[in-house]
Amino acid sequence: MLARIESEALSGLDSHAVAVEADVVAAAPAFTIVGLPDAAVQESRERVRTAIVNSHYEFPSRRITVNLAPADVRKEGPSFDLPIALALLVATGQTRCRLADAAAIGELGLDGTIRSVAGVLAVAQSAYGRGLRALLVPAANAREAALVTGLRVLPAATLREAAALMAGAGGPAVECPDPETLLDVEAATDVDLSDVLGQGRVKRVLEVAVAGAHNLLMVGPPGSGKTMIARRVPSIMPPLSVAEAIDVTRIYSVAGMLPPDVSLVVRRPFRAPHHTISVAGLVGGGASPRAGEVSLAHLGVLFLDEFPEFRHSALEGLRQPLEDGEVTISRALTSLRFPARIMLVAAMNPCACGFRGDKTRACCCPAHRLAQYGQRLSGPLLDRIDLRIDVPRLTPRDRRSQVSGESSAVVRERVTRARARQRERLSGAGVSANAHLSARGLRELCRLESRAVAVLDRAYDELRLSARACDRVIKVAQTIADLEGSDTIQGGHVLESLSYREPPWSRR
Amino acid sequence: MRADPHEFGRAAERLAVAYLQQRAYRIVAVNQRVGRGEIDIIARQAGVLAFIEVKARRTRTCGTPEDAVTPRKRHQIARLATLWLGSHPRSLVGVSDVRFDIIAVDALERPPRIRHLRAAFDGS
Repeated sequence: MLARIESEALSGLDSHAVAVEADVVAAAPAFTIVGLPDAAVQESRERVRTAIVNSHYEFPSRRITVNLAPADVRKEGPSFDLPIALALLVATGQTRCRLADAAAIGELGLDGTIRSVAGVLAVAQSAYGRGLRALLVPAANAREAALVTGLRVLPAATLREAAALMAGAGGPAVECPDPETLLDVEAATDVDLSDVLGQGRVKRVLEVAVAGAHNLLMVGPPGSGKTMIARRVPSIMPPLSVAEAIDVTRIYSVAGMLPPDVSLVVRRPFRAPHHTISVAGLVGGGASPRAGEVSLAHLGVLFLDEFPEFRHSALEGLRQPLEDGEVTISRALTSLRFPARIMLVAAMNPCACGFRGDKTRACCCPAHRLAQYGQRLSGPLLDRIDLRIDVPRLTPRDRRSQVSGESSAVVRERVTRARARQRERLSGAGVSANAHLSARGLRELCRLESRAVAVLDRAYDELRLSARACDRVIKVAQTIADLEGSDTIQGGHVLESLSYREPPWSRR
Repeated sequence: MRADPHEFGRAAERLAVAYLQQRAYRIVAVNQRVGRGEIDIIARQAGVLAFIEVKARRTRTCGTPEDAVTPRKRHQIARLATLWLGSHPRSLVGVSDVRFDIIAVDALERPPRIRHLRAAFDGS
């Protein structure tokens, strides 16, 4: 007898329809799976066989052919276990399929329990998008799937439960968590900008950077607090919107990095990969492409400590995502896109020994190494970093006298207002933050006062700014004006912006 | 009898046939030649058609009798069964399950012990 159960297969961040067909006939017994299955899908036979027996069903001693259609797309992973088992049970008349428009995914344990799988949110979205109205999922993934409104989520912990649900047994409906309330309750972070003593100027730059979504490079000796400061950047970013939170959740879900029973990622991501990371690890890739750290940091912060120590190829790989806000990975058969709209926060020492320009310790680098150190970073990459700032080390006396300053909530408030101003002004240009403005958008949408033009012209001559560097100065000045609530860019805004642009190693 | 390995094998097959008949199996064929190979016993019980490989051992020098049905041998039996079914289409009438069984005759002691492994393997 023939049975057919709908399912879904992931490719990149997207999911597409797969029909699981099972045919069971009286002939020399064999169990074959066709339809370009990979090794994990082939092994599914053993899990399905044992799970069926251990769930006290009968495993048919007949010829079983399972087909995963469409047959020309590679099928990966263990998520077909459940639909294959259900199709077999239906084909042998041990259960009935009374659910219309339903799909199933799940991995089976040998005892018949259903294990959680990756990418359930993407699967649920795709299933709903193609007209299905119910989805059988592992119980641990239920809350994630329930984010798709309108989809009936049927959570099952065992194969028997899944079979009963399919035969029409009503289960408790999974409550669709209201994303708004999740975001409200949980958005508070555990770190706060007020944890950082002193460093008033650095905090100001941080605020400007976040307000305009500018990338930031911090330069300072070891122990000056670069990492501590970077960790607090997400706390002053505006909270995620519901749509943004769902986008981030989808990435984490597909990567299998969603903690169990978490339905929605509500905090902005903060990713801090070690500098030994490979290109594929940073920007994504692999034989069946997976999201890299830039995508895991989507809508959040990618923190690269010891910036010049990263592999040259990895850093150059960042150029496309920094420019386009997404990564495109092309393979012979497919081309996949991963979103990667990040704020890059990089940190480095001012020189190889780390103490160049320090108040209390002398730098011991020979002159030729000083010259080399900053040059590891390519011009095109530095061009994409609008703000550079020195982070000095505080002396013990400084530390005692310093106050902690404003809390993250206060700064976030101002940042959110500045972002709102930008959105309003930039709505026509198709971007949401000053940092993403094109050169043309810059001319059309940024209004400089005459004094600002004068300052800029002088800087252009005296500092020998390139045209692109000049654009960056205007972008940052625009953000400073937005923070101040000013409709035009004034001379003071340009001056402040100019103070954040020098490559640190060219100084002194 | 000890001296002749073929005779030992035949004796084991006779034991297996008697065992099956006691348990209400109808013997369809014994030592059925298919092409170049041979299926030891084909038997039928209710809706089940079983292809049975008989293995016997007098010592443990080469492991248990069941161990002697290697993946290669299983593959060969499955292929022979498919061939045989092709040339005997009527044998499937009323059959719901087809099985590959092993009957192990353990002659370490007297009388020999018989183990019947139902659905011991499949053709995949």
